[in-house]
Amino acid sequence: MSALDIFFQQIINGLTLGIIYAMIALGYTMVYGIAQLINFAHGEIFMVGAYLGLTIYLAIQGFAFGPAGLVILVPLIFIFTMLGCSALGALVEQTAYRPLHNAPRLAPLITAIGVSFLLQNAVMLLYGPQDKYFPNLIPIHRFSFGAVTFTNLQMIIAAAALILMGLLNLVIMHTRTGKAMRALAEDRQAAYLMGIPVNRVITQTFVIGSAMAGAGGLMFGMYYNTINFHDGYLAGLKAFTAAVLGGIGNIPGALIGGILIGVLEGLGAGYLSSEWKNVFAFFILILILLFRPQGLLGTRVVKKL
Amino acid sequence: MKRILQFPRVVLILILAGCGGNPKTPVIKIGCAAPLSGDQAQIGLENCRGVELAVAQAEENGFAIPGYRFQVMSQDDQHNPSQAVNVAKKFAADRDVMGVIGHFNSSCTKPASAIYYAAGMVQITPASTNPDISKQGFNTFFRVSATDDIQGPSGARYAASSLGIKTVILIDDKTTYGKGLADEFEKEAKKQGLSVLTHEGITQGDKDFTPLLIKIKPLNPDMIYFGGIYPEGALLIRQARSLQIPSLFMGGDGIASPMFIELASPEIAEGTYATMVGQDMKKVPAAEKFIQNYEAKYGPVGLWSAYGYDAANILMSALTKAGVKDRGKILEALRSTPSFTGITGIIAFDEKGDNKNQVLGIFKVHSGKLDYVEPAQ
Repeated sequence: MSALDIFFQQIINGLTLGIIYAMIALGYTMVYGIAQLINFAHGEIFMVGAYLGLTIYLAIQGFAFGPAGLVILVPLIFIFTMLGCSALGALVEQTAYRPLHNAPRLAPLITAIGVSFLLQNAVMLLYGPQDKYFPNLIPIHRFSFGAVTFTNLQMIIAAAALILMGLLNLVIMHTRTGKAMRALAEDRQAAYLMGIPVNRVITQTFVIGSAMAGAGGLMFGMYYNTINFHDGYLAGLKAFTAAVLGGIGNIPGALIGGILIGVLEGLGAGYLSSEWKNVFAFFILILILLFRPQGLLGTRVVKKL
Repeated sequence: MKRILQFPRVVLILILAGCGGNPKTPVIKIGCAAPLSGDQAQIGLENCRGVELAVAQAEENGFAIPGYRFQVMSQDDQHNPSQAVNVAKKFAADRDVMGVIGHFNSSCTKPASAIYYAAGMVQITPASTNPDISKQGFNTFFRVSATDDIQGPSGARYAASSLGIKTVILIDDKTTYGKGLADEFEKEAKKQGLSVLTHEGITQGDKDFTPLLIKIKPLNPDMIYFGGIYPEGALLIRQARSLQIPSLFMGGDGIASPMFIELASPEIAEGTYATMVGQDMKKVPAAEKFIQNYEAKYGPVGLWSAYGYDAANILMSALTKAGVKDRGKILEALRSTPSFTGITGIIAFDEKGDNKNQVLGIFKVHSGKLDYVEPAQ
């Protein structure tokens, strides 16, 4: 393997991880943009997505018929996982955040941490504390370009993420709900006065963000083949970093931030030191907060008076 | 207001009721400390179930102090050193706890040992293998398992002489156990003429080791030696194979667990070597009955169950010898016990509390099971 091959291999694997981070970061950024709230339980919804995907797979695998069945099976698992996570996201919003809409901003942050502990421990009690084996949903094929290799699974993850992000863009730019979300992000008070049902739109934001996180969790399980109830913690923190890097509240920013974090982490671990792998993401967070707090794509908000 | 005041009283009554049993019989508690939740819960449970079985059997056989009933108090240290210290303080403060079997991870056993020493109570670790723990001069510390200054080198010798390995890459998880084991392997590997291409670290709890594996792939080592525990070990071998790194995979007792094979999948784990304290249990006649009893109660026996079982039996025999509920007398009794025949072999403690009779075996994953290959040299 030449040095260039190694570099490309690191980029390919970093991209895959980055796409998964981006799927989580979308939820952080949407909820922040619309409700001005950092939903620290979001990483847990991602983790629940992985467990839900596994449970659904185990429940319906018996009905699939051979390789042709996979074409139906895998999208079905994605859809059900996303539905389940949406419901969970809506439930979390209704119970933990809605009663605190007018409370000081620290209060929902604290309930978020509470929800995060609750979900982690609930999953631990339901599924046991150990790592769970996540079977390959599809037979893995490997493609090689010289010494650089990638798998069909990596392509499926990228394709599924692109499709979902395209759908998200469609919803935000071309539907009434999306219009309402954009209005809310711009000026909540004015949107309220224009007759936009603020509470409903916030719930819809949680629903969409949680669906994306659930799909991300499923991808994570498929990619690493083991899942654990505390996987949401670190992945959530890194996705949060990605959202800040891209500019919190900015949807394309979350995508770019996620991919950048994944790739930089891979390159840092590969070329500098694997012992410090987790340090790179948070080092970037500190740099961004120091030098460009609005993020790469964010615009500096003038404080409204 | 009145109702609010009543609430704590009801809770208090419930708590007192929960302490249950027969309040008139005084109790002696045996502590068991291990990771009982989290990714290493499997090995922790194996261990504490062994302890429970030993204590229950000792009580049945009248092996105890008359007038007392026995109770195993299992505590979860979450393989986290600061949590281990909390658990140790809890045991030390409970006047009924007469000894502790634990902890599991060296990084937990080491800080906890200072607290047991201050409390003057016996601590027998069934599993911690880091050699430095027994060099602290604590006379309350005992160890049933072998130490890494024997385990690491025996793996290196096996790799060099029996497997014909020439080049090796070391990866450890930076913990007291993982790094200690890999360091000891490295020292002996160099003596055996193996060339150590690099020695890298990873972080416990991490999932993605591909950046490191891509980096080491061009070095094309004959073997990758991993100092660490099975959750990371299983991911490492999976990701290595997925990157088409064909190197042999070897580790210590941390990956010698059925969970390693399950998480890595049997096909990928096939051919992995592990050094493990102890011998082939199936060939020890005394162990047969233990395996039967254990499996009747808890299901398939784990490799660590026997160590928890032996450690608890040693403590029970010291208790019987002392004949009183007194931490100091029990410690004295254990110190003056010349040797003990358990199901993992003969256990005799030296002045540091280490087992003089360190038996190590080489194990290999074959068709989804961890098979005993031969005694390690």
